[in-house]
Amino acid sequence: MEKNHPEGVGLAASCMAACPVHTPTQAYVQAIAEGRYEDAMDLLLSANPFSSVCGRICHHPCEQNCRRIAVDKPISLRGLKRFVMDQTKDFRKTRKRQVAPANGKKAAIIGAGPSGLTAAQDLALKGYQVTVFEASDSPGGMLGKAIPRYRLPFDVVMEDIKDILALGIELKTNTAIGKDLSFADLRQQGFNAILLAIGLAQSKSIGIPGIDSKGILLGIPFLRMAAEGVPVKLGEKVVVIGGGNVAIDVARTARRLGAKKVTMVSLESRKEMPAWEWEIQEAVDEGIELMPSWGPKAIQAGKGGVRGIELKKCTRVFDENKRFNPAFDESVTTQVACDIILIAIGQGSDFSFLQGSGVKLTPRGLLEWDGETFATSAPGIFASGETVTGPGSAVEAVASGHRAAEAMDHWLQTGTFKKVPKEELPNIGELPKEVAEKARKLERVEVGLTDAGKRVQDFEEFERTYTEAEALREARRCVACATGAVVTEELCAACLTCVRMCPFGVATVDRTASTPAEKCLTCGLCAAECPAAAIALSRFGTEKVKQELLRLAGVKKDKDKPIIVSFNCIYEAQSRRYLKPGEEVLGKDGILRIMVPCVARLKVTELLMPFELGAEGVAVIACEEGECVYPTAEDRLEVRVRRAKQLLDEIGIGGGRMDLFKTKGSAEESWEELWEESRNKIKSAGTGAGAEVSR
Amino acid sequence: MIVAERKPFAEIKEFLAPYKKVMILGCGTCVTVCQAGGQAEVDILTSELKIADRQAGKSREFITGTVTRQCEPEMVDPILEQVKRDQPEAILTLACGVGCNFLAERVGKVPVFPGVNTSFYGTALEHGVFAEMCAGCGQCILHLTGGICPIARCTKSLMNGPCGGSNKGKCEISTEVDCGWALIVKRMEELGTLDKLTEIYAARDWSKSFHGGPRKLLIPSVKIAAELAAQAEEAKKPGVKS
Repeated sequence: MEKNHPEGVGLAASCMAACPVHTPTQAYVQAIAEGRYEDAMDLLLSANPFSSVCGRICHHPCEQNCRRIAVDKPISLRGLKRFVMDQTKDFRKTRKRQVAPANGKKAAIIGAGPSGLTAAQDLALKGYQVTVFEASDSPGGMLGKAIPRYRLPFDVVMEDIKDILALGIELKTNTAIGKDLSFADLRQQGFNAILLAIGLAQSKSIGIPGIDSKGILLGIPFLRMAAEGVPVKLGEKVVVIGGGNVAIDVARTARRLGAKKVTMVSLESRKEMPAWEWEIQEAVDEGIELMPSWGPKAIQAGKGGVRGIELKKCTRVFDENKRFNPAFDESVTTQVACDIILIAIGQGSDFSFLQGSGVKLTPRGLLEWDGETFATSAPGIFASGETVTGPGSAVEAVASGHRAAEAMDHWLQTGTFKKVPKEELPNIGELPKEVAEKARKLERVEVGLTDAGKRVQDFEEFERTYTEAEALREARRCVACATGAVVTEELCAACLTCVRMCPFGVATVDRTASTPAEKCLTCGLCAAECPAAAIALSRFGTEKVKQELLRLAGVKKDKDKPIIVSFNCIYEAQSRRYLKPGEEVLGKDGILRIMVPCVARLKVTELLMPFELGAEGVAVIACEEGECVYPTAEDRLEVRVRRAKQLLDEIGIGGGRMDLFKTKGSAEESWEELWEESRNKIKSAGTGAGAEVSR
Repeated sequence: MIVAERKPFAEIKEFLAPYKKVMILGCGTCVTVCQAGGQAEVDILTSELKIADRQAGKSREFITGTVTRQCEPEMVDPILEQVKRDQPEAILTLACGVGCNFLAERVGKVPVFPGVNTSFYGTALEHGVFAEMCAGCGQCILHLTGGICPIARCTKSLMNGPCGGSNKGKCEISTEVDCGWALIVKRMEELGTLDKLTEIYAARDWSKSFHGGPRKLLIPSVKIAAELAAQAEEAKKPGVKS
């Protein structure tokens, strides 16, 4: 039995558990750290076809739940995701996907936003013939029409959409169902099922005096005009009503369109404002003024249009039952002069197109809909995304699309409804304080933003992507939760080595060893030192080393270029130059590189193994002196190398054939030099090792 | 715990020189704990042998494994089966001397070689540091000496130490070695029982230690119960009259 095996106890890393689509987060971050950007992309897209988009605008619940928060700051997961998607654009276009053979059934998706297109993708992959109907002239939904370009360039939206459509999905733009085509038409065209994924494209307004004045615009149409480059005259002073993320987008867009003074008025107090804190901060940096805890009372307008707005003090937004139920102190009022008022207080859907579809609405005007089967009241018509879930993020829309597709597939195949509830993964939870305080702090690599004064001048993307070196440095910070030590109980002798080795005080022995996944920081020192070979590290092991070393078979010896196996710490690489195995087994230099996520994990047997297979020398290249992320690991490695050298002396081939080096600066800066040093040492030791053995 | 130390590689290499198919066997109990003969050491030794073989231009087959306790019939029996099946020409065991004996007696014609020097009964003072604490003399007198053994921890196994070679708490043989009797005196002083050392005791019966020849222990309750069970089993067989 394997004790505390993360998979055995079914624990998911907290980042993955928090993601609405359960992106295999730590797996893709490890893939980045190992230079496998294409694998990282596959992992990302396996969960989320809108990964390029989410790399820009996701509200990243993964980061909010990153266990590194207990140590210092979360991993910049969104930044890393964007890096991967930016790095693999070409590969993405050429990769092959496994599509099930056509099953002869047709599905219609209404609405080409993230939810509809995700469902379209999933159904296409399952062999359905899918057509997406979009009322406007371009796909993307809110991603293309509302989210400002400075946050999400349109070509990024199209990167994801083109990739989805490349599965053979037909997109019909400028086709409004209920107007250009009726539901009956769809049935007649042979669509066996229909998904309503029209989103919340209608801005809500407020009933206050003066609301019909000239100079009042609703948020979504305003954002759409800005996104499509339609000129909007704003004047000098703009008031934005609303405190959510759309209101922030509206305010920042107004700033970029030339408004000198932009004031955001929200019912909510500063703390209650529903917009993401970082977006509020970015808006403030851009000179946007916040007026929290104020509600609109009346609009003052003259012949020329809006002149200002009267506000009343909002004393409470939510009642005791946490329901939206604002209360005001009418006696406290204030006035704000302005030329334009933009209203961003929420969105809704226009369901008038459903007439004749058989889809019923609730008395409150919402869709009658089952949140688990995704079915509406009309047979064969399903619904997903914000239309039914209410306002949410892009990744939540994607999650809804996945689930809807699964429900539709089941219905199409069996004629019965399947409940597809939200899947909650067993979360590994927070990193306990007593472990976190022993972990080494590593500075988060922040992505630079364009200076606020400069960025408000245009709609250029204001956040840059990581450089490769930055991404690799940031990926190194990931603890790879839930991939740590796994104890095979039958082998354990309860010798206490793990307890004594563990730099984080995690391992315990209670009859047999225990390394709880919830606490393990995955350094692997216990596995490297276990005298019973009872502990393995799920993220790295002997088998991997063996596989790499088997490449030595058949390599010809050359006295000028002794065969040297170099175990290198991957965390010192600033590029893929050394991370990706070359075409040739050995470089021109006779070096077989084995990249290890921390060489302090290497066991004595792993250090010796190259000599079994004909290597003439071994170089172990650790990180820079004092730079290892794991406390005590450098000393432990040194002791193990020393023992391996002694064994080589005993065997008679000489401990001088193995050396432990420390990286100087970076891999790129120092490894060639270290290999040269190693080569010279081995040459002077003679080509003794394994000399007369033919391979 | 039995503490052992791996034998030098040259010695092991020589033992195994004539054989082309070798089994290397670890033990998962004491020698694993003292890092001399667990699976990790089996792997390391096998690797050493393979490297040496390659060096010498030869290659041979190794069969490796670890038995939970190499001193128990039920645990060793599967190895005997494996030996019959795989037919190694020799076995190198990293178990203590007990395990080596036990296996050698049972395994038939295959030679069994020791891969460790079995050293003593000891304790881990800290990780990687072991010290002798007991000599297995068969007649424990720890109750008389404050829980510290004069047989194992006095170089001369004196019953009436310390001797004249005790110097500032160390034994005359080495400044690294504590004087066992100095420890006893200190401990008994601590306990306020030092005066007990003035009492006269009967002479020790050394025949109960190794001096009386190889020892055997029979636990009557266990042994008799087993015999009764065997008899009952026998009686059930058809044709056997009770």
